[in-house]
Amino acid sequence: MTGDLQRTATGAPGGQLSRISLVLSGGAIALVAGALVPTYLAGDFVLRLGSEGLLLGMLALSVAFMMNQAGLVALGAASIYGGAGYLFAIGMSDGGLTPAVALCVGFLVIVAYAAVLGALIVRTNPLAFMMLTLAAGEMISHAVLLEGLRDYTGGADGLVVRMNGSILGIDVAEFADPARFWSLAWIVTVLVGLAFWSLGRSRLGAILRAVRENEERMRFSGFNTFVPRLVAYVLVNAVAAIAGFLHVLNAGFVSPESLGLSVSTNALVAALMGGIAGSLGPILGGLIFSFAQDEFGARGLTQLLTGVAIVLFIVVFPRGVVGGVSSALRRFGSRREMS
Amino acid sequence: MLKIEKLSVSYGSLRALTGVDLEVGGDGVFHGVIGPNGAGKSTLLDAICGRRRPTSGIVRYRDEDITRRSVTWRRRHGMARSFQRTSIFQDLTIREQLELVAQHLGDDRLDDVVEVMDLGAYLNQRAGRIAYGVQRRVDVALALIGRPRLLLMDEPGAGLSAAETLRLFQHVRDLVRERGIAAIVVEHDVDAVFACCSTVTVLDLGRHLATGTPEAIRADHRVIAAYLGTAA
Repeated sequence: MTGDLQRTATGAPGGQLSRISLVLSGGAIALVAGALVPTYLAGDFVLRLGSEGLLLGMLALSVAFMMNQAGLVALGAASIYGGAGYLFAIGMSDGGLTPAVALCVGFLVIVAYAAVLGALIVRTNPLAFMMLTLAAGEMISHAVLLEGLRDYTGGADGLVVRMNGSILGIDVAEFADPARFWSLAWIVTVLVGLAFWSLGRSRLGAILRAVRENEERMRFSGFNTFVPRLVAYVLVNAVAAIAGFLHVLNAGFVSPESLGLSVSTNALVAALMGGIAGSLGPILGGLIFSFAQDEFGARGLTQLLTGVAIVLFIVVFPRGVVGGVSSALRRFGSRREMS
Repeated sequence: MLKIEKLSVSYGSLRALTGVDLEVGGDGVFHGVIGPNGAGKSTLLDAICGRRRPTSGIVRYRDEDITRRSVTWRRRHGMARSFQRTSIFQDLTIREQLELVAQHLGDDRLDDVVEVMDLGAYLNQRAGRIAYGVQRRVDVALALIGRPRLLLMDEPGAGLSAAETLRLFQHVRDLVRERGIAAIVVEHDVDAVFACCSTVTVLDLGRHLATGTPEAIRADHRVIAAYLGTAA
């Protein structure tokens, strides 16, 4: 009976299927074209900025998913991003691990950390959650500066990574090349974007949104409201960790700045700029922020950019660039239908 | 079905319920709970469904002590409730929210609930955009999914006209009889309670005052003095 109801609700199942196949086909084309075309058209400087934008976009995506689906704003994304970078770097430099093993170990540590921290904080209200992620992030960013850990973390100077070995047959030193790294960052970002897009439409996404809206009713409907939020929290942190690994692969360097609050707020601003409702918005927001930051930063106006962007995108364009453009297109379409 | 023994609930220094005993049978019992404001009616439902932990006393459900069981456990074991203030998912369509809960509880007879609560015309509308009376029916429909054995309803007629309340009560009474389940309803509208409930309990100042058939309650001099007055 439920199935009958579902079918009458969504119309022909073929419509849904064709939409999914359209999105998947579009994604595949974008994946290949985006990975290759810019490397022929753009110079190294633009590719570097673009790659930074993609990494920020991935971080923004993790922040936006938690905001949109669970109604929780995380201010500690940088601690995962930078922390993953430190773990990867320490594993290769001091641990003598191969890049692939260092990456796996770092990933498992981050997932375990996110699971423990998440178990403590996802039950709290949104304000407490935000403050607790901020506090946890600040603790980690200060921990790397501890004198006792200086031999491992490099203290305030950061850590230069010895890039030896390969991942999946590719020499990791090659990712210092802007064109090579752009292709990698693009492919990973698009795949993560598609994964989050699917998650948002999955049962987990539906449960998260329902819990966000009325947690008590969900509990009184027999749902465990803790586990879905914990799973989402671990997933978004896994994505932030991937962005952190990529950053180290490209830069060959990790510093305390990568753990700082400014990286977390940049990710938040990028998410607001692009729009938090889907996957495209945060990624686009990351790219816009990266290029705008370069332009404004050259004039020493980065903070001004951040402030103006926050006000503009919260007050004037609350759905971000993607949300605003899609609303405008819908309005335009309905006007044409009427005329 | 349900047996409550010496149940007390306190909010800090305020005692909302004091040593309440109550027994509700199964198979088509529609049990009304009435009483003046502050009598502890909603607190009683909260304690039964696990929303509020009792200060003392025992809640037995199908011969098992469930006093410390979670809300989720109770729901999965057939105890469902609706709320005094409509508690639905305003941003989801009626269909989306009913299906979400139905899939989770493994209820493949959702059409029955839609039909009983007369929601067929509203399935594709967002809950926040439909009339309040329909929202109340959605609230009850969410509780009916999963074929509960015990249905708890807190002021289902809140915000509805007397006629709408009576119609809703008649719907629920028929459902309770058809499915052989039990329902406890807390309600201010005593006319609807007397018209539809098979048993009525009266609370006053957190204490159990009387339990009996509607006719017996109407004639009970303690109930008349404390709540119904001469109008009854």
